[in-house]
Amino acid sequence: MSANGVKSLASRRAFLLQLAPKTERRIEGAILDDSHLRGHRLRDGQMRGGLREPRKAPLVIVGGGIAGLCAGWRLLQKGFRDFVILEMEKQAGGNSRWGENEVSAYPWAAHYLPVPNRGSKLVRELCTELGLLYEGEFEERHLCHSPQERLFLHGRWQEGLEPEVGLQKADREQFQRFAGLMQEQAASGQYTVPWEPGAKASALDRMSMDDWLREKGFDSPYLRWYVEYGCRDDYGSLAKDTSAWAGVHYFAAREHEDRGPLTWPEGNGWIVKQLLKKLAPHVVAGAMVTQVAIGARGVRVLTETNDWESKGVIWAAPSYLLRYVMEGAPDTSGIIYSPWITANLTLDRMPRQAGTEFAWDNVIYDSPALGYVVATHQSLRTRIDESVWTWYYPLAAVAPAEGRKQLLARDWAWWREFILNDIGKAHRDIRQCVRRIDLMRFGHAMARPAPGWMFSPARAALAKWGGRMVLANSDLSGLSIFEEAQYRGVGAAERILRVV
Amino acid sequence: MAVLLLISVFLIAACGLVYELLAGTLASYLLGDSVLQFSTVIGSYLFAMGIGSFLSKYVGRGLVTRFILIELMVGLVGGLSSTILFLAFAYTEGFRFLLYALVILIGTLVGLEIPLMMRILQDRFEFRDLVAQVLTFDYLGALGASLIFPLWLVPQLGLVRGALFFGLVNAAVALWTTHLFRDRVGALTRLRVLCFAVMGVLGIGMLYANTVLDLADSALYADEVILARNTRYQRIVLTKWKDDLRLFLNSHLQFSSRDEHRYHEALVHPGLAAVAGARRALVLGGGDGLAVREMLKYPGLESITLVDLDAGMTELFATHPLLRGINKGSLTAPKVKVINADAFVWLEGHDGVYDFIVIDFPDPTNFSLGKLYTTAFYRLLKHHLSEGGLAVAQSTSPLFARQSFWCVAETMKAAGLQVFPYHAYVPSFGEWGFIMASKHGYEPPASLPSGLRFLTVSMVPDLFRFPADMGPVEAQPNRLNDQILVRYYEREWREIAR
Ligand SMILES: Cc1cc2nc3c(=O)[nH]c(=O)nc-3n(C[C@H](O)[C@H](O)[C@H](O)COP(=O)(O)OP(=O)(O)OC[C@H]3O[C@@H](n4cnc5c(N)ncnc54)[C@H](O)[C@@H]3O)c2cc1C
Repeated sequence: MSANGVKSLASRRAFLLQLAPKTERRIEGAILDDSHLRGHRLRDGQMRGGLREPRKAPLVIVGGGIAGLCAGWRLLQKGFRDFVILEMEKQAGGNSRWGENEVSAYPWAAHYLPVPNRGSKLVRELCTELGLLYEGEFEERHLCHSPQERLFLHGRWQEGLEPEVGLQKADREQFQRFAGLMQEQAASGQYTVPWEPGAKASALDRMSMDDWLREKGFDSPYLRWYVEYGCRDDYGSLAKDTSAWAGVHYFAAREHEDRGPLTWPEGNGWIVKQLLKKLAPHVVAGAMVTQVAIGARGVRVLTETNDWESKGVIWAAPSYLLRYVMEGAPDTSGIIYSPWITANLTLDRMPRQAGTEFAWDNVIYDSPALGYVVATHQSLRTRIDESVWTWYYPLAAVAPAEGRKQLLARDWAWWREFILNDIGKAHRDIRQCVRRIDLMRFGHAMARPAPGWMFSPARAALAKWGGRMVLANSDLSGLSIFEEAQYRGVGAAERILRVV
Repeated sequence: MAVLLLISVFLIAACGLVYELLAGTLASYLLGDSVLQFSTVIGSYLFAMGIGSFLSKYVGRGLVTRFILIELMVGLVGGLSSTILFLAFAYTEGFRFLLYALVILIGTLVGLEIPLMMRILQDRFEFRDLVAQVLTFDYLGALGASLIFPLWLVPQLGLVRGALFFGLVNAAVALWTTHLFRDRVGALTRLRVLCFAVMGVLGIGMLYANTVLDLADSALYADEVILARNTRYQRIVLTKWKDDLRLFLNSHLQFSSRDEHRYHEALVHPGLAAVAGARRALVLGGGDGLAVREMLKYPGLESITLVDLDAGMTELFATHPLLRGINKGSLTAPKVKVINADAFVWLEGHDGVYDFIVIDFPDPTNFSLGKLYTTAFYRLLKHHLSEGGLAVAQSTSPLFARQSFWCVAETMKAAGLQVFPYHAYVPSFGEWGFIMASKHGYEPPASLPSGLRFLTVSMVPDLFRFPADMGPVEAQPNRLNDQILVRYYEREWREIAR
């Protein structure tokens, strides 16, 4: 048989195979967090008897998230080297942790850093040190490549997240008016990043973003979706549960001089990696702090295996945990935490689509989730076959406690269906592309700027709380972003240095 | 039963319109000039339906049997119409004749359907109800077809399978009619066997639709296709007409053997001949080996490294006798090393420095390819360029895509390179542009290798002069995070296509 004959026979057979009924492909995966066990671990650890090895460190940082690591970063800058960072997980990073598989590195939660304004000195300082910012310009490889964002609306993808397809004249006018108002607010100069230094107490904080929209006469469903999306994306809450001041902050605090944001395959894990280059010798991983006792001359910090004696402590773990580990803990009951779940999907191939290219951030309009981010987007390759997508979902529609219950109650298979159906709205063949779905649940993912909270005396007191122990987690800010975590961490380092 | 028959009316009307639309679409697709094709196809089709209606008066007894036979014929001819037309275009000169013959044949058969159906139904309705009902369903079917055609049939099934599918619908109506009138028609079994036979033929057609399309691929190229191959990255098609070989990558013309020497001489010699003592050279893209062929005219060069993404492409050009004839076996020359890798990633992972670098990538038609035209890429390139070395990049047409061309120049400048844009005329492409880049100036060469067919020493400086309509225009540099070039390019070529 001629070569051609063989070939056409083979292709015919391939075609017949295609005719076979599509078998549902096997998708592997697991829930990777053990948050449901964490409470038990904390309690069991406390009950363990006295077999702890005594250790000494003048300064102990609890929690190796961005706040804890940035505290360490500042300490090193000041020439202070006698400290340890105790991190409960096997890997530092907290909400900026990342994973890595045969295809790509990928984020578990935080995946980008907005290009910092000129006023954001602290972030720019770090960016300069990490080589991201050089002679006033951001290194383009670390900026999100084109195309940045797209939105699946009315059955097709459009560029950018601001809805454009199907808008009436009235909708467009509202978008324009909204943009105008945000510019006005921005011009007031009070929306800075981090927010505390620039902010002036504002009546806006006492109403919800939803009320503010209504008060200003914004009723375009597209605009409302857009604002709602912003609140869910940054705060994990609906506009009705978000302070209008924080809602405006989201839109008015950024200058966008360079097309950004800064991002990497592993998301903000990249920044963690860079910080760890200097801090790794100080980090003790797998060390969960179960008890803290503040005395007159020092602080004892107990983990499951060690008994640390120190002169001062920076508590950079989530603040709500304090009540479980110490007597006389400050009152953190005012902080509301949003529950989230994220998924990393490993794909054999990208879904088929005509006439549009995958963006970094891909959002579906009719979805309770936030869409997916493509980890391979920053690759310099011209051709991407396999990929990893990170899918984001804040459980914002229900009360946080209810959301946490749902997180624990639903098993992996339930989420698999939910996720594939969600992405399936825009990619019909997604089930043929995915080979693995791993999940990470965050019961207390991030502090939420609920109406009235940011400017409340309770929050201010919490932020200032301390003596031998100071607090540093980003949840003190009332909103959870990299810049706030860094600000809290650096601030805590400077305060504690006065004590030790 | 009347209702069931009216549903049949709906279905056959839909089928009828689908065949008409298919013929019109195919004709405009293959022959161009859609206004002419659609007008003439629709005109002859409607006229043929008139013939059918007229002929219906000669159909006397055995109405139902005749109706079933006609259904089967419509199904068979209509169902196979796309296949026949595709193959006719590929293998015969008679496409136009067959097109209209088929349109007339199908039109006539379809013209018979409705009058016969009316007569079958005439005992069941008042005359004025009859006309109203039948025509209502007839037009409804047409509406259905006109919606299904663009929204589902063409995108999901394609033209060949789409026609076959509706052929099957006709045959199904025939089969169903045998059932409805099981006690009024004779030779029931024979009719049914016939129905199944037609369905069988159409079904087999569905299975082999891909093969038909492969066979017909050649139809999409003006000349004889002598080689077509799918690699992992692209579809490579080589066509031949007399002594002109043309290479298409994903249907984009890559070169024509008649004038590729102009392109490749212009790409290589103004630069390479101007680098004194060049020893190491690099080619990025250019898997056809034609730039390398030109570079092999410099005995002083010690090594040429070619980095091309597509192993299928470089292998083909290293082994196929016809293609080796064009590139003079350049890819297997001892000095030449072929590497299959993504250029940006490869450059990033290596630290070789080269005296001459050729960049011959596809045009920046999308953001993925656009990465290869960014400041980030050219900065990396600069690290690989020796102090006295030159790099040259094909940079689309300064005439058709003027701002795109100058954008590439601007981007190289922003990456810290000095640029020297030039252009040459390549008939099968039109005016084409290149950008020479260096760290320290550029002087045109004092001599060129012998045996060039296009370039002469004295004309090289002229290449760097731009007529007024191709001269510099304002453009932003193209950056990874803001790929303005892809937008310029898309806009400019869209304007040309209009
Ligand atoms: C899904 C999601 C997406 C996000 N996306 C972004 C984004 O794109 N950009 C952005 O800027 N921000 C994002 N954020 C916000 C993110 O929270 C902050 O950027 C930042 O990472 C918070 O850092 P942190 O150090 O304040 O808190 P955490 O990251 O919560 O750090 C706390 C650390 O303490 C450890 N810990 C807890 N308990 C103990 C204990 N008992 N003993 C020892 N260690 C303990 C934890 O393991 C953790 O490592 C996102 C958050 C979530 C949940």
